[in-house]
Amino acid sequence: MGLLALGTALEWSEAKKKAGQVRQWGIEQLLANWRRAKGKERDALLWGDEVEYLVVALDDAAKKARLSLAQAEILKSLAQDEALWKAGSCSNGGNGDHDGEEPPHFHPEFGRFMLEATPGQPWGIGFKDLLKVESNMKWRREVAKAHMAPNESPITLTTFPRLGTKDDYIQPYYPPSGPALRSQFVPDEIANPHIRFPTLAANIRSRRGRKVELNVPVFKDRNTPSPFKDPTVNYDLHQWPEDADVRNGAAKDDHVYMDAMAFGMGSCCLQITFQAKNMTEGRKLYDQLSPLGPILLALTAATPIYKGFLVDTDVRWNQISGAVDDRTPEELGEAPLKNDRWRIPKSRYASNSTYISQDPRLRKEYLDPDLVIDENIKKRLIEGGMDDLLATHFAHLFIRDPLVIFSEDLEELDLNKGDHFENLQSTNWQHMRFKPPPSDKDDIGWRVEFRSMEIQMTDFENAAFCIFIVLVTRAILSFDLNFYIPIQRTTENMETAHARNAVLDQKFYFRKDPFVRRAPRHAAQHSSNNSAFSSTTSSAVNTPPPSPPLGPVETEYELMTIAEIINGCSDGFPGLIPLVESYLNSVNVDVETRCFLASYLDLIRKRADGTLWTGAKWIREFVAKHPSYQHDSVVSEEITYDLIKAVEEVTAQEGKNGSVGWEFLRGKKN
Amino acid sequence: MKLILSTSNIMKGGRPSVIRQPQQKSNVELITSLRSNFLASQQIDHNGADSHANGTNGTNGANGTNSDANGSSSWTLERDGALYIPAIDFAQPGLAEDRDQYDITVKLFYLPGIPASRRCAHTREAIDLVLKELHVKSIDLLIVSFPGILFDADDDSEEEEPEPSGEPDHFDSMVQTWRVLESLHEQGMIAQLGVAEFGSERLARFLPHTKVKPSVDQINLKDCCVVPKSLILYAKQEQIQLLTHNDCNDILPVGTTRELLGPADKGGAGILASAPEAHDGIQGHVEPQWVVKYTAVVKDRGVVENKGYFALADVGTCVKPRP
Repeated sequence: MGLLALGTALEWSEAKKKAGQVRQWGIEQLLANWRRAKGKERDALLWGDEVEYLVVALDDAAKKARLSLAQAEILKSLAQDEALWKAGSCSNGGNGDHDGEEPPHFHPEFGRFMLEATPGQPWGIGFKDLLKVESNMKWRREVAKAHMAPNESPITLTTFPRLGTKDDYIQPYYPPSGPALRSQFVPDEIANPHIRFPTLAANIRSRRGRKVELNVPVFKDRNTPSPFKDPTVNYDLHQWPEDADVRNGAAKDDHVYMDAMAFGMGSCCLQITFQAKNMTEGRKLYDQLSPLGPILLALTAATPIYKGFLVDTDVRWNQISGAVDDRTPEELGEAPLKNDRWRIPKSRYASNSTYISQDPRLRKEYLDPDLVIDENIKKRLIEGGMDDLLATHFAHLFIRDPLVIFSEDLEELDLNKGDHFENLQSTNWQHMRFKPPPSDKDDIGWRVEFRSMEIQMTDFENAAFCIFIVLVTRAILSFDLNFYIPIQRTTENMETAHARNAVLDQKFYFRKDPFVRRAPRHAAQHSSNNSAFSSTTSSAVNTPPPSPPLGPVETEYELMTIAEIINGCSDGFPGLIPLVESYLNSVNVDVETRCFLASYLDLIRKRADGTLWTGAKWIREFVAKHPSYQHDSVVSEEITYDLIKAVEEVTAQEGKNGSVGWEFLRGKKN
Repeated sequence: MKLILSTSNIMKGGRPSVIRQPQQKSNVELITSLRSNFLASQQIDHNGADSHANGTNGTNGANGTNSDANGSSSWTLERDGALYIPAIDFAQPGLAEDRDQYDITVKLFYLPGIPASRRCAHTREAIDLVLKELHVKSIDLLIVSFPGILFDADDDSEEEEPEPSGEPDHFDSMVQTWRVLESLHEQGMIAQLGVAEFGSERLARFLPHTKVKPSVDQINLKDCCVVPKSLILYAKQEQIQLLTHNDCNDILPVGTTRELLGPADKGGAGILASAPEAHDGIQGHVEPQWVVKYTAVVKDRGVVENKGYFALADVGTCVKPRP
């Protein structure tokens, strides 16, 4: 979440009138910033991870686990300590293990039961830095825990299994159905009380004309009723107009129904941001990492329960997508276009829809011919000097309306700021994000954020996935790898990744050969002299294709299992892990680091080939084996309590010596 | 005659150079990248210069009608008694950014059976090629790999293969070689020196004989994480960094060289004859002398921009067959 400015937030009826102005000003800010920063060069690789936590409170006497809404108090206490730390009087956490490391930063998130923590300073590529990531994550957890009540702790489950049930799953308890969310399952108090968040939720709902609507297919166990009608839905509420949604068919048979932003934005993710050396490299990484998004989503799957039911999907993504879907019936294609400008195929939270790199390997066929863009905005950006691809990208993001507008910000356009641009940019939650340098900070470069991964229960896993992605980016740049596939295939892969056990059971579109064809030095020289960007007659968007001519796009990719993509197959795709290892064999790595890295790569290799379970599978098995489980898909309060206890133990023991969770961490009991 | 084999930049060389199947020998990177560089250079030559019939260099294969013998005449280059396979144009720019952005590591493999007395010349020759290739004046780290030393992580006693006859004292020759490296260090050509496969005992024996201590000991860990404690402690005490590598101890066997360079109908590059006395290519015995690997990594971004190998072999009737 971005900076939380204070001000007078406009309700949707007012905000709607100002949307054009905010977009226009945002584009002018973008252009000013782009002109300033497009020549930035030689920035180092710096990267940061973001770990998000649920704060749970355990009631051992009653055997109940609840979400704690103590975010504000915890953050206040953390901030005081951080201030003390900065002032030099080292208090908690200043133990010898983290000498020289800045204290971690904690941030609010949408859910009032959530925390986000980032390292105190960004990581570099120095291998010593890579070794610090896991211990720093553990440190963050300790620091956070030290600022909570004794029965509270931060856990890294993507979602709380019983969020939105009829019992008292939050502490303190508030009854559901408030003016902002109008949810029949969660109270307004579930959200961060900062004006930005309730306004965001309310304006999404108002713009949409009804509540958001999430229907997740229920997992049909042997005693699950068929058809399954979500028994927690109340059809007889009459407090808000939106209470009629369920009477109009919002809740679907055989699905778990949810109706509020909290069910999506209350999920925890694992996100990584990289600084590129310049804009060109940033655009290349954005494109090349994009096809990996769905693969890493399936590989990190950890979300099999919603609102007290086992569901038939393994990941959080589509639920967040639905939870912030502000599209009107016209934009959704449910009503003829009258007032709105276009039909929009995806939510604001979705897989990304276009490529942006000025790469000669980017073929026209990889782009979506039906991409919706605001032509006027694109025209303005091109007049302002921006190239077609990047202008198209931003003209696509800017088809959306700004959701939270503070009236104070509309008095004067300040081209040295980026607030209006960020208003649109930060509410386009795509699985990749391309971030221009902040207009007020010269020491930050062009960045790319990788956003699809699910948070893992242990810091060992979270560090492993972060470091894996960092190493993949280094391999991409070192070997000049090419992962391009038509972007619509990535959208399809994103859907595929949702299936239960997709990691082993599904196949994903992936490029067969990631390598450039070998061009001997004088030929290579020739083509690099020739790299003026022209988008004329050929299939390539940026430069004419190399000879020999390219084959049909469809022959470049095929359906592969996650195991084939991660570990490689003998005649086809070489595998991401072998590529990373080949990279590591080309750089000087000390023995200790290589051993750490080997354990991380081993985790990922074994997740991909099924030797180790995903978190989702482990949670499913935990529920299935629980003595009180009735095989009716219901995850009771008792099961939830035991599950949260088990998660706490996994986080501490990491499945060592046959302790709980060995199935997804070690693969063997000893 | 000297044969100078080169891979050019293998980071941009595609799959064969990059990916090793688990069962393959680790020198496959060198062999396959040499092979694919030869092939690529021959193709360019065929496409580019059809009328290159009267090659001016000395690779006049006995049967001149052989198209490969023809081909080799233009995709290779003879200069100062050395045949470059393929031809190298050192006028091509080396690295994209300023020198101080890079960490340049060079690993020199002295090959088994080659007299240690040649190492002085070999070292200069190898370093000189790397400097010319990358257009730099110095390198950051030179690691030397002596033949016949095998590090065994299990018992911390690196095995020495029986010393070949005519090689009086293996240890003395290493010390002698180190003197050469130290002088290159003094001249500012090499910032840091390193060794490969040294166990703690050998290090302890070696260090007193050095003026410039090795900063690096590079070891090959089959199963990572089994490093003898004594080595870890000793290296820490002496401030020697333990680095990992994945190279083969016999990086360029004699037979492989002939396979690589032999007649095209046997899958080679069409330079050497199929046997020392055969008439289908350059005659005589072939004897690989050294192999050098270089990598240029952009320091604060961790990007490997350039990586490649040179290998040098002697060939001709004056080269003695190996015992």
